[in-house]
Amino acid sequence: MNTRPILLVEDNPDDVELTRIAFAEAKIANPLHVVGNGEEALDYLFERGRYAGDGHTGQPALVLLDLNMPRMDGREVLQAIRAAPDTRSLPVVVMTTSTEPFDVDACYSLGANSYIRKPVDFEQFMSAVKQVGMYWLVLNQPRPGGP
Amino acid sequence: MTQQDAHGAAPASATGPVPLRSAHVDAHAGPEERLRRCEAELARIQKDQELLSYGIAHDLRAPLRAIDGFAAMLESGYGEVLDGAGREHLARIRSAAARMGSLIDALRALSQASLAPLRIDRVDASLLFDWSLMELGDAEPGRPVDARVQPGIQVRADERQLKELVDRVLHNAWKFSAGRDVVRIEVEAEEAGDTVRIRVRDHGSGFDPRHAALAFEPFQRMHGPEAGGGHGLGLAIAWRIATRLDGHLAVDTVPGEGTVLHIELPSGDGGDGA
Repeated sequence: MNTRPILLVEDNPDDVELTRIAFAEAKIANPLHVVGNGEEALDYLFERGRYAGDGHTGQPALVLLDLNMPRMDGREVLQAIRAAPDTRSLPVVVMTTSTEPFDVDACYSLGANSYIRKPVDFEQFMSAVKQVGMYWLVLNQPRPGGP
Repeated sequence: MTQQDAHGAAPASATGPVPLRSAHVDAHAGPEERLRRCEAELARIQKDQELLSYGIAHDLRAPLRAIDGFAAMLESGYGEVLDGAGREHLARIRSAAARMGSLIDALRALSQASLAPLRIDRVDASLLFDWSLMELGDAEPGRPVDARVQPGIQVRADERQLKELVDRVLHNAWKFSAGRDVVRIEVEAEEAGDTVRIRVRDHGSGFDPRHAALAFEPFQRMHGPEAGGGHGLGLAIAWRIATRLDGHLAVDTVPGEGTVLHIELPSGDGGDGA
């Protein structure tokens, strides 16, 4: 199991806390790095702005991306991730409340690896987060040498 | 549709609300002009309704997840510190959150039944009934089921909306069977000209036929929560979808014996199948 961090892009502090709890219960030890909007997500991934020369190197093992966020939303973040050679093959899982067909379509067209609806029910939410973590951090064989 | 609307694909409005203009205010406007204004007004109202419904569906679910999530954390982490009454309060919070979640989903489905763009194609309705029954069985494992679906029922419909209709109708039949040892459901169909008549029969509790006329009105409950009654939107959603698919929905019921839902839809057999 790789130990690179998971980047959680989420503006709702309650969802951040619930995701943290779910990863802890699933015994997923990768550190969780949380950013509250799309611009900061890209700063982190491209090591610029406040993340320029902060010592973190390399890409996260996984990006969990919320869709509806202030300033730059999830779709734009996804587009920017897929456009840059360094992050082109980074696993990005969209986790959102929406199951609108146009949101799902748009995300897959922009290159999302997976699209998960966040359930209201806590047990279902835990199970969804655990399965995502298990699949992308344990089962999935990443590209050799990082994304 | 105004120029701004045409570009507003995402459910967000940068232009702010457009003041309401009544279509018949200007008595000097000709009929064509008034029709044009009515159409513009209708498009605006539909867009508003869509924005409201999208907002309800998504923005209300996030706080609900927090309510259920942290109540669950209290339950699992601090259950022993609480006495019986405290644990019961928590259970009530969680069950209310679950009901509200399903109500939000149903409100969204009700609005989508009227507004979602349709893609009409030939659809195997039998597969949708089978799929939906499987989901109901998964949600209540261990419940004895005797369900028979006639294979190969072909209709012309929007597949996504038809699945929603089938889900709602079967969910109802399933809930009506709550007091029975076995959930027994039969789905049969026959062609009648260019329509297909599907019958969904359950052997559950039925309800007073005097209330049958109200069965498709939103928020009409045929049963209380103890008899499996829900939010009273299921059949209203199914009725709206059937109507929008150029079909029809009707109900026959005998208290204590069961209920038959009649679904009429355009036939998918014959024609070019395109």
